Amino acid sequence: MSQSRALGRSTAATSATKVRGRGGLLPVLLVAPAVVLLALFTIAPAVYAIFLSFRRMKVGRGLLGGGKPTGVFAGFTNYAATLTDSEFWASLARMLLIAAFGVPMTVILAVVFALCLDAKRARLVGFARLAIFLPYAVPGVVASLLWGFMYLPATSPIGGDVVDYFGNRGIFFSVANVVVWGVVGFNMVILYTAVRSLPKELFEAAELDGASELQIALRVKLPMITPAVAMVALFSVIGALQLFNEPTTLKPLANAISSTWVPLMRVYTDAFVNNSIYEGAATSFILITMTVAATVLVNVASRRITRRQSR
Amino acid sequence: MKTPKSVAAVGVLVAVTLAVAGCSGTDDKPAASTSSSAAEKVTLTYVNWDGGMDKVVDEWNKLNPNIQVKLSKPSGTGYTLYNKLITNNKAGTNPDVTEVEYQALPALIANQVVVPIDGYVQDLASKYDKNALSQVKFEGKTYGVPQNVCPMVFFYRKDVFDKLGVKPPKTWDEYAAAAAAIHKADPKKFIGNFTAADPGWFAGLAQQAGANWWKADGDTWTVNINDAASKKVADYWDGLINKGLVSPQPNWSAQWNTDMNNGTIVGWVGAQWGPNQLPSIAKDTAGKWAAIPLPAWTAGDTTVGIWGGETEAVTANSKHPAEAAKFVEWMNSSEAGMSSLISNVQVFPASSQGQQLPVLKTPPPFMSTQPDYNTLMATVSKGVRTFDIWGPNANVTFDSYSNAFGAALQKKTALSGALDTMQEATVSDMKKLGFQVAG
Repeated sequence: MSQSRALGRSTAATSATKVRGRGGLLPVLLVAPAVVLLALFTIAPAVYAIFLSFRRMKVGRGLLGGGKPTGVFAGFTNYAATLTDSEFWASLARMLLIAAFGVPMTVILAVVFALCLDAKRARLVGFARLAIFLPYAVPGVVASLLWGFMYLPATSPIGGDVVDYFGNRGIFFSVANVVVWGVVGFNMVILYTAVRSLPKELFEAAELDGASELQIALRVKLPMITPAVAMVALFSVIGALQLFNEPTTLKPLANAISSTWVPLMRVYTDAFVNNSIYEGAATSFILITMTVAATVLVNVASRRITRRQSR
Repeated sequence: MKTPKSVAAVGVLVAVTLAVAGCSGTDDKPAASTSSSAAEKVTLTYVNWDGGMDKVVDEWNKLNPNIQVKLSKPSGTGYTLYNKLITNNKAGTNPDVTEVEYQALPALIANQVVVPIDGYVQDLASKYDKNALSQVKFEGKTYGVPQNVCPMVFFYRKDVFDKLGVKPPKTWDEYAAAAAAIHKADPKKFIGNFTAADPGWFAGLAQQAGANWWKADGDTWTVNINDAASKKVADYWDGLINKGLVSPQPNWSAQWNTDMNNGTIVGWVGAQWGPNQLPSIAKDTAGKWAAIPLPAWTAGDTTVGIWGGETEAVTANSKHPAEAAKFVEWMNSSEAGMSSLISNVQVFPASSQGQQLPVLKTPPPFMSTQPDYNTLMATVSKGVRTFDIWGPNANVTFDSYSNAFGAALQKKTALSGALDTMQEATVSDMKKLGFQVAG
């Protein structure tokens, strides 16, 4: 209410009763643009995608179809096709493998950086913070291209002719590396902000009790920023499910990456290479379900941890 | 793995509904629906990725003040473009004219993206041989004027071959021997590479070996991707790869470009259009390459496959199909159009009359040391052998090629197994779409 009064252009005198009178309306108006945009560009396409996922294309009779191809009801066949395809599960496994390496790395490195930057003896904090954050500002596609050049033997300054960065196993590290490099800075900033907002008295008290800098970082600061760490972990898990840019950009450079290497690449290939929007829609719906499930899981887990700690 | 967006998984599909048109859409002028409205000024949009095409379009615009063509480059080549056309078709935002490689035309016809132009162009049968026409004619309707013929040839670094005393290969046996000789002289050098990035490349080699991936009988398709001829080609390259005589680097990658430029790779099984692409791949080696006919399976055999080759097609979204067809016809079958294509885009025309044009006496700039470059193309194009017809879902076949061959190269399993994967993927997709497939 106070907000609407502050924003209301009407004179203050008329305010009190009048504002209360139209109480429900102004907030609605204020959030309306966001809701409309969300409905138009997120919810409506999602609903349409679900509709599409239950259809398939059928060409007419004749060698090349003869007549317009029609969409027909397909039941659950698109879902069945994805769920029974071993390549889909393989792509999920690849994604999880990258996540298993990437998610802990992004979180652990971000925690380490944040705590280091907050340390009393840290120098050049401003520069270091910017240097760690900067890769986040580089678009994923550009970062992948840059790393691609660094991995390839012909152009590599980091020993591409000795290490096969695009080998069967190396490729997972190579992709995860690009991802970690790009995300750590963002996570670090969130955690650093969390650390900075902690009350200074606590550290002083700990110091008086004879705690070392390291002990303060690990025993005092870290437990207190656990909620922020949990949130960062959640972001990283969701990000892992959306892995697409990096492998797609690296694909033309390496035989090891197929067009269905991770689930989102499969969605893209179905929809825009094999021209089957229907299967792409079904697969993306399956993925959304998984993303929501993963989000809930991480949320519940992190809440448990926080609760245990606050006890 | 960037900022999370809760439903970004469907973000990809948002693009479908909104039909984000990468290629410029059709103009908004009132439709000149009748074909004889030449007096009215129309603007056609045309999408093409070839370097130098702007000059061809400029020439047309000068000659035809009433039918102006606006050229735009697609954001992606090959199937990236074709699938965008299929998607945009539903939204009605396709350009009037688009370039289409022969192998993609059936898919665009099946999706009703392009329209027949028989009513707008003069009789093509007198200007083109059956082979060329079969690339654009389906079920009695013509969907474009054949632009070029792209026989496969072998490019090699003449300076390196001469220095090492290796004779340019005439047969595939000689190619294998030359590969071994080059690798022995300098273990870092390769005679060429096997590419999992270019399905059209392998298809061309399979055509030479006698494969016929698709056949049409009435309304029924026969698919034969894993036939003996194709497997022979796969096994041959398998042997070279296993001995480490050819590089497994995909074409067009940064690695391949560098290797081609610095003399690590000294040969390229390519096609007629190579000199148009080579300047951006290996600019330091201009004038050092020579082209010869593709190695044969048996000495003296002149059969070669094609890699690429294209036509321009008029889209179903076009409001000016008559004018669009006129532009297509001018470009690909008039003397002025073909001459412009030859000198600016380095096309070798499909029309037999075009193959006699005087501009062909000058070689492409990159092949300046080979004055008879186009004479060679005329000779080898006589031995061209293609599939009966390209399948209606060659996009699926091609995508499967890249995945299956890429995986086989990576895991070092038999390449011929990848052909089975392609066959299976192609047939099951055709059946799913409702095409009749024999067997």
